[in-house]
Amino acid sequence: MARMKFLVDAERCIECNGCVTACKNENEVPWGVNRRRVVTVNDGVVGAEKSISVACMHCSDAPCMAVCPVDCFYRTEDGVVLHDKDLCIGCGYCFYACPFGAPQFPQAGAFGLRGKMDKCTFCAGGPEKDRSESEFKKYGRNRLAEGKLPACAEMCSTKALLGGDGDVVADIYRERVVRRGKGSEVWGWGTAYGPGKAGGQPPAKGA
Amino acid sequence: MHIRFRFAIRLATFAAALLPGLAAAQAQPASPATQADEQRQRGVDQPGNNAPVWRDVRSGSENYTSIHGRETGVLIQPQARFPGQANISTAGEAWRNFRNGPITFYGGWVLVLATLAIAAFYFAKGPLKLHEKPTGRLVERFSLLERWAHWTVAISFVVLALTGLSILFGKYVLLPILGYTLFAWLLTLCKYAHNFIAPLFIAGLLVMIVVYIRDNLPEKGDLAWFRGAFAMFWSGKHVPSGRFNAGEKAYFWIGVVALCITLSVTGVIMLFPNLDQVRTTMQQTNVIHSISAIVMTLFALGHIYVGTIGVEGAYQNMREGVTDETWAKEHHELWYNDVKSGKLAAKSGATPQVQH
Amino acid sequence: MKPIVLIAAAAIAAAGLAACMEVQQTATPVKQGKYQGKPDTAPWDNEPLAGGPKWNKGDRAGWEDQIKKRQLAQHEDRRIYQ
Repeated sequence: MARMKFLVDAERCIECNGCVTACKNENEVPWGVNRRRVVTVNDGVVGAEKSISVACMHCSDAPCMAVCPVDCFYRTEDGVVLHDKDLCIGCGYCFYACPFGAPQFPQAGAFGLRGKMDKCTFCAGGPEKDRSESEFKKYGRNRLAEGKLPACAEMCSTKALLGGDGDVVADIYRERVVRRGKGSEVWGWGTAYGPGKAGGQPPAKGA
Repeated sequence: MHIRFRFAIRLATFAAALLPGLAAAQAQPASPATQADEQRQRGVDQPGNNAPVWRDVRSGSENYTSIHGRETGVLIQPQARFPGQANISTAGEAWRNFRNGPITFYGGWVLVLATLAIAAFYFAKGPLKLHEKPTGRLVERFSLLERWAHWTVAISFVVLALTGLSILFGKYVLLPILGYTLFAWLLTLCKYAHNFIAPLFIAGLLVMIVVYIRDNLPEKGDLAWFRGAFAMFWSGKHVPSGRFNAGEKAYFWIGVVALCITLSVTGVIMLFPNLDQVRTTMQQTNVIHSISAIVMTLFALGHIYVGTIGVEGAYQNMREGVTDETWAKEHHELWYNDVKSGKLAAKSGATPQVQH
Repeated sequence: MKPIVLIAAAAIAAAGLAACMEVQQTATPVKQGKYQGKPDTAPWDNEPLAGGPKWNKGDRAGWEDQIKKRQLAQHEDRRIYQ
């Protein structure tokens, strides 16, 4: 039984915003909505800058699902949290509750009136017929139904963002952590900004 | 403009947070400079250890992102704890537990029990009847403006209460009956009704407070009325009172003034999500709004009961604006005496007069 | 100890355990693998697209197998498996 998960490796993310762009392109999300965003901690501080890509994390105990007054959320068999835009009333409670700020609301009128909520679907569409036109318009592409994984994770250039079955994500990350710290094997930071500089991490072998 | 909005919201939040003593314990985010220095040092000492950065992420501080918008730079919401919660948790989770927990549970039962209690009282004791026959002589009790203000607020409040209750409890009560699709349609209607009737309610409320405030100022006999209130409902023995008795005054000051203004302010904060308010603000205002709404609904249940089936003749007073002399004498003797002696014409905005 | 005390203790323990349960937050119970009344189809219940990844319609294990293989492309050291 697969359990779909995202993992972002802060050692590797170079804040290229490729995942954001890939998501917008793949799902043709509404204007003003970003299902994924990259946040940089300590921006511009040499040696302390880390970037993290964040979207819906498809919680096991999802607060959005718990507070939704119309109960429009559901969790699929592979652990993806999806919602039904036909039921959504745009109250914004899921946005209050979500720790990650994943639910987004396109403005549907004057005074910031909220439209139907939009969020990352793990590229799994919604309750419409899979891969149908209406599903694409409402929720974006259903890549899982095509036998593919989320576009953001699949095209991440530094492989910082991993997405897919949690077991495989864990395996990949474990191997990576074991191998990390060997100079040329490290992608991300040490490679991008050169090893051995003040705080540049990790230090080159023998430096 | 923008900054003024933000300041107004902060101020409103601060005031709102003080009201029910709701102190959301918010973790102080580490100052960026220290955290960055610590992380830089950590990167040298223990390459690959990003604990300072993750602590910063957990604290809910705002960081850089190229995505424009409110709080887009916050990776995880700050920590918070609502009253009665044992553990500090992410603000959204704390809010979820408070809303789905105490507010829904106790709020729901309090409303159900209050309704049952009123029904039980009605069937046990019946309405408060007049002791003597109506004289047929009418006295003006509410002016046209007073009636308009009352009914604007009353009708909009009932709509707001019903739609609000559907939003809070509909999932547990109506959804199992109606099913997803029908219930979602109903709740979409509820949301729009709640959002668009609210301004009418606020406008009506302000007019009503201005119109009614003078006759609701506390007087000497008010405490005596409270002492005699129980006996009145039990045996029908009235305590003499002015134009409004102390119960009506309490309803005015606690319900109409305090609770409805709280509801209006918190409602406006949530109604306009484009005023730059952050999620913590909206969670706190939502909690204050829900609690005041439930308490106000309790008040209103009592008010509607005594205004309709609970007291004979009360509904006609507000509907027609005039009352029978017998009613006036039995319920508001001091006011009746003032009207009769002509003393009140100058005092009351209603300019009551005896009609023959 | 008297049996009644034991039974009472067991009942209290059972009631205490019940307090540990997750409070029901949704109208229909959330169950892993159930869609709570929403009409979504599972990804593996679709016919694979021409030219795309292959699995047999309705074969969950086969779909997961190919997803996991595909996922290894996210592993820089083991791309050779792809």
